[in-house]
Amino acid sequence: MAGLRIFVYAVIAIMLLPVLITFPVALTATSRISFPPTGLSLRWFDSILTDQVLLQSIARSFWLALTVAVLSIAIALPCAFAIQRGRVGYRNVLETLITSPRMIPQIVLVLALLVYFEPIRLAQKFAGLVIAHLVITIPFAFRTLLVSVATLDRRLEASSDVLGATPLQTFRLIVLPQLKTGMIASFIFTFILSFNNVTLALFLSGIGQRTLPVEMFTRMNVAGMTPVIPAISFVLSVLGVMLFVVLDRTIGVYRFLAARE
Amino acid sequence: MPRLGPQAISLALLVPILLLLILFFLFPLAYLLHLSALAQQPTLQNPFPRLSFVNYVKILQDYFYLSMSLNSVLVGLSTTFFTVAIAYPVAFYITRINGWERTLISVACLLPIFVNVIVSILGWYILLLPFGIIQQALAGLGIVSGPLQLLRTFPALVAVLVYEHLPFAVLILVSSLQAIPADKINAARVLGASVPRIVFSLIIPLTMPGLVACVILVFSLSASSYLAPILIGGQRTPVLPLAIFSYGTELQNWPLAAALSFVLLVLVVAVSFVFSSAMNHIAKRGQWEFV
Repeated sequence: MAGLRIFVYAVIAIMLLPVLITFPVALTATSRISFPPTGLSLRWFDSILTDQVLLQSIARSFWLALTVAVLSIAIALPCAFAIQRGRVGYRNVLETLITSPRMIPQIVLVLALLVYFEPIRLAQKFAGLVIAHLVITIPFAFRTLLVSVATLDRRLEASSDVLGATPLQTFRLIVLPQLKTGMIASFIFTFILSFNNVTLALFLSGIGQRTLPVEMFTRMNVAGMTPVIPAISFVLSVLGVMLFVVLDRTIGVYRFLAARE
Repeated sequence: MPRLGPQAISLALLVPILLLLILFFLFPLAYLLHLSALAQQPTLQNPFPRLSFVNYVKILQDYFYLSMSLNSVLVGLSTTFFTVAIAYPVAFYITRINGWERTLISVACLLPIFVNVIVSILGWYILLLPFGIIQQALAGLGIVSGPLQLLRTFPALVAVLVYEHLPFAVLILVSSLQAIPADKINAARVLGASVPRIVFSLIIPLTMPGLVACVILVFSLSASSYLAPILIGGQRTPVLPLAIFSYGTELQNWPLAAALSFVLLVLVVAVSFVFSSAMNHIAKRGQWEFV
């Protein structure tokens, strides 16, 4: 067990290192990316707020992820109810179809969408990007929500019905509160999935319409990268870790992330 | 909703998801397959080029594309091997602890899911830079002297891909390790089984389904990954996704890009199939004592 412990902590150190390294590198006073940094200043954290292109890409990513998260739940929740409660035939076929976008490599899926969108003029549009993201986030939202719907206590609904509540009242007062945890979990998870996605947006976002990850990718790959990229990276990591800790201490990350079967 | 009763309501609830998946998942993939079998790119003058397998023939005859496919498989296999080898002990440790230590280890191991992949690739890029931290550390220990080529190498690419996919492996393995009933392990211990024997003839066979799922997922994700190969591997380790991207966007040769996509898809499916049937075969022959 002691040997295992040392191994695990070594792995953890390696897992944290690439993310933590962005902080000292962003503190440099020059515009070169190097470690140890030359001089100390917060100017690159400041310049996040003055870089208009970067700010616009942050806003675009935020709205995209929000739209995708809301729509994923709006589409996946009724579907989870129908599959769990309604006596639809071919339940296995339906479940396989709904979760199958996960099996297709994203680069193949996005190429298919690009060539399909081009003639119908959805290729470099926000709507096209939303649709592409929905295809990959819905399997995750569906899985999480299906588990929540399956664990609903039906006796409560029966009691509410007997006591004279209308179906709508029962849904709002009895069913929704029980689904709250699952809905929050799938909202946060689809939001993160969409906000962090690079491959889909790389093919589908138009010039001057880049999402934040694509903007970062482009600056790393093509144009000269200034330390503003490590700075925004560090900010994103801190936000990500905070969200994670909150999720794990409230809902339990393994419970909903591993909600596979 | 007390009674969802009639099938009609259920079907109505399924309409949005079915529309989305048929229109924007099945149709595009079918169209891509069709496109891959076209002799040339459809244009306004020639919207329906003749069908042929010229793209596939081109790929199978060209040494460049063949070595690219081989590279993809090699990158995928090495990544899968190291990811599982690291994730299994970590997942085992996670199931034995709780409280804040569990949260800390989970945060660290699942970080790449919550933090953008670009961020972690950037971190590795900084670490691997010539005269970067890894080189300074190695030079400090007296292992190397002089400049060291780390970026644009195969080991660096595999390291970054292992980093990126470790969380998925840990998640699957934690949930399958947690499903092992504690009394089985206790029974083995009471009956005097040694620790290696408990691990190899009890724990590993019991987590086999999770292990297979994990290998298939990590292989398919890493063999089709685009970002790490372009930013860390570069053109020194050409893999299929690099060609798919450049033919799909910059060069606009969609039929060839489509054919390359299906080659990638077939490779991923073939390796997954071979692996899972090999595992089934071993299981049926009873080389492991299934409990």
